[in-house]
Amino acid sequence: MKFDVMLTGVGGEGVLTSGVVIARAANLEGHYVRGVQLHGLAQRGGVIPTFVRFGSEDEIHSPGIMQANADLILAFEPLEAVRACYYARKEKTIFVISDHRYIPVYSSILDIPYPKLGEITRRVIPFSKKFSVFSAHGLAKEELGNMILGTTVLIGAATGMEALPLEEDNVRKAIETTVPGELEKNLEAFELGLKLGRSE
Amino acid sequence: MTSEVLGRPGEKVVLLGNEAIARGAVEAGIGVAAAYPGTPSSEVPMVLASVADEVGFYFEYSTNEKVAFETAAGAAWCGVRAITAMKHFGLNVASDSVLPVVYTGVRSGLVVMVADDPSGWSSAQSEQDTRYYARLARMPMIEPSNPQECLDYTKLAFDISEEFEIPVFLRTTTKVSHSIGTVELGEIREPKTRGEFRKDPGRFYSIRPRLQELHGRVDDKLGRIEEKYGQRLNQVYPGEGNIGIIALGVGFEYCREGLLQLGLTTPIAKIGMTHPMSEEFITGFIEDKEAVLILEELEPIIEDFVKQVAKDVNPKLVVHGKDMLPRSGEYNLETILPVLGEVFGKKPEVDFKAHERQVREAERGLPPRKPVLCPGCPHRSTFYAVKEVFGDRAVYAGDIGCYILGIFEPIEMQDFVISMGASAGLAHGITRVSDQDVVVFMGDSTFFHSGLPPLVNYSFNAKRSPLVVIMDNAITAMTGHQPHPGSGFTGMGEKVKPVKIEDVIKGFGAKVRVVSAFNQRKLIEALEELREIEGPRVLVARGECRLLTRRRLKSKGIPIVKYVIDADQWKVHEDLEEIAEQFACPAFMQGEESGYYIDLDLCWGCGVCKQIFPVGVVETLRREAL
Repeated sequence: MKFDVMLTGVGGEGVLTSGVVIARAANLEGHYVRGVQLHGLAQRGGVIPTFVRFGSEDEIHSPGIMQANADLILAFEPLEAVRACYYARKEKTIFVISDHRYIPVYSSILDIPYPKLGEITRRVIPFSKKFSVFSAHGLAKEELGNMILGTTVLIGAATGMEALPLEEDNVRKAIETTVPGELEKNLEAFELGLKLGRSE
Repeated sequence: MTSEVLGRPGEKVVLLGNEAIARGAVEAGIGVAAAYPGTPSSEVPMVLASVADEVGFYFEYSTNEKVAFETAAGAAWCGVRAITAMKHFGLNVASDSVLPVVYTGVRSGLVVMVADDPSGWSSAQSEQDTRYYARLARMPMIEPSNPQECLDYTKLAFDISEEFEIPVFLRTTTKVSHSIGTVELGEIREPKTRGEFRKDPGRFYSIRPRLQELHGRVDDKLGRIEEKYGQRLNQVYPGEGNIGIIALGVGFEYCREGLLQLGLTTPIAKIGMTHPMSEEFITGFIEDKEAVLILEELEPIIEDFVKQVAKDVNPKLVVHGKDMLPRSGEYNLETILPVLGEVFGKKPEVDFKAHERQVREAERGLPPRKPVLCPGCPHRSTFYAVKEVFGDRAVYAGDIGCYILGIFEPIEMQDFVISMGASAGLAHGITRVSDQDVVVFMGDSTFFHSGLPPLVNYSFNAKRSPLVVIMDNAITAMTGHQPHPGSGFTGMGEKVKPVKIEDVIKGFGAKVRVVSAFNQRKLIEALEELREIEGPRVLVARGECRLLTRRRLKSKGIPIVKYVIDADQWKVHEDLEEIAEQFACPAFMQGEESGYYIDLDLCWGCGVCKQIFPVGVVETLRREAL
């Protein structure tokens, strides 16, 4: 068995931490885990894709996912879902997207408008087997008063809709070991996401 | 985010390659760790700093890589195991001391972890291949492929170093350092933290006639290391067919997965020790082959070695490597799979090129997202003020730090970036032959790392010198907020008296002004004053990294003051778009109709926008409104 997850979004959004949560949850489930995090300059408002792969040790070697081979793409920012299509294809990839826009400054500097959500969907659909958009960040802000928890809401949604094949309890435990300082809010965010995902 | 680096022996956890190296060093019982931060190696010292107290070893952030290496080597001379970690360019700085210490040797394990960065994810200088340093320094070098090996090889590096009394390189690349993987933890050896320097005349200097004797001793050590570890660190993964693959580092991981994808069972020789290369091992692998494919990123070092060995043992051997694969850029599955396909006559499941064309089409016309200075960054404000005073005509000397992002539009104020501290040295050369105004931008950490020699040279040799702007945000920000002598605390969190940049500069006899980086009027006044001076002059533009300010306020429960644009006032004035686009704060958003507004989730409250727009356009948002 082999499952390839790509997480993408904007530096500072918590993409990296979300990747660690998924990796640790997979480890708790007894999977062999590989993956890549990119650090450095790209963090500063740039795009930061993170890859997490889990399954059997005989099948997983490369830390990165191969082009057109992601099983799941978690996009914490809709525009970045389009750029993630490099790793996606119609036959296998599920997209789970938060609709919270993070407009790049280059949009105004270069006068290139940020596309409407419908336009983004239109571009992603040819690369997706299944496609779900949630107001993860909006909900986090409304219900918990902190937008950044939207990343945890989205992980919850992916788990709830079984797009992320991991036990809920293992994800909870991974959240506990990864962000112990902000545990309660993150667990609440995860529950909110689970509900969203189950009703999908 | 908490690390699992101090887990129990036998426990299986997921670690980053760099975290696994730190764990390996802890398991090896280090007494000293010292480093100057450099990505992609930064997490090694970051993790070691975070556990040093608990485990009981000494950790420091040194002022540069050379000082860090010397700190570690001094400890190893006294019988205390020590590690230093650096990025590839850091080794250029440290090399002056690394090479002679290979001759003198050490008394206990000394490991130099070096991370190369093919494709330049976190580096701007070159795609240097550090494996050449191992040959230049005649120092052993071993290379892990995944996080488990990162841990195991670090311990092994200490054993080799101690057994043969020679420092050992542990080399990674970005995708080894920054990849995660399941790691089984081992026992932690009690750290030995105290030692003694035992005098040994003739041992710790390489002045002639000792020089040649010591050189000969290095040759002897390398020969014995090749003999003992050549078969152990290099491994054959048997398979079918008379074509073989030789791979190392992350290339080995791609190779295994690539063969799996294509349904191939080709024999692989994995190289774990790149210096000394084992002639016996290579001979054993190639003597019965028709052809070999060598998967090594960057320079054809193993390829050249294999060709040389093949001349004697298998002259008909076809050696593929750089004839099929690029010398520049890191590899990945997409680079390697088509090459494997070509060599073995197999087709990958997905047509990468056709798929890529489809992706390019889907991405067409989207706004790019390049890295930018954070909202509230003091550097944005400083750049803005300097441009107000010097316009587009001055020569802007750039350096290494977050301000390198000033390369991009709309700032475009880093005309060249070469190496740490080089802004000031190159600017001096330009000023010797040109009457142009030259402004040097240098960060605080860079100042302590390599900025001191070129700046003191101004006092010595430059009646007319460039204007230097030290962008002082009180921390080494780009690599993840490591302290430096000006920060006021050490790598282990101990409070110390901060070294004031202005005091150092005053000692050089230069004219110094210290101004808040968040105060446009004062920045401009100081720049105009310093512009009129010919001799050495320095503006210290001081403003804490906004990420730290934000974190500090958040931990105290103090809300950040935010700002709003008055839409009616916006309409009264002309050309405000131009100011907004020049300042380019990520919190500025273009409204649906006309004008800009400030996204309150992104505003980090530096208040500089209130100063650059006409009075009344930007107002402070009252606390109650948050």
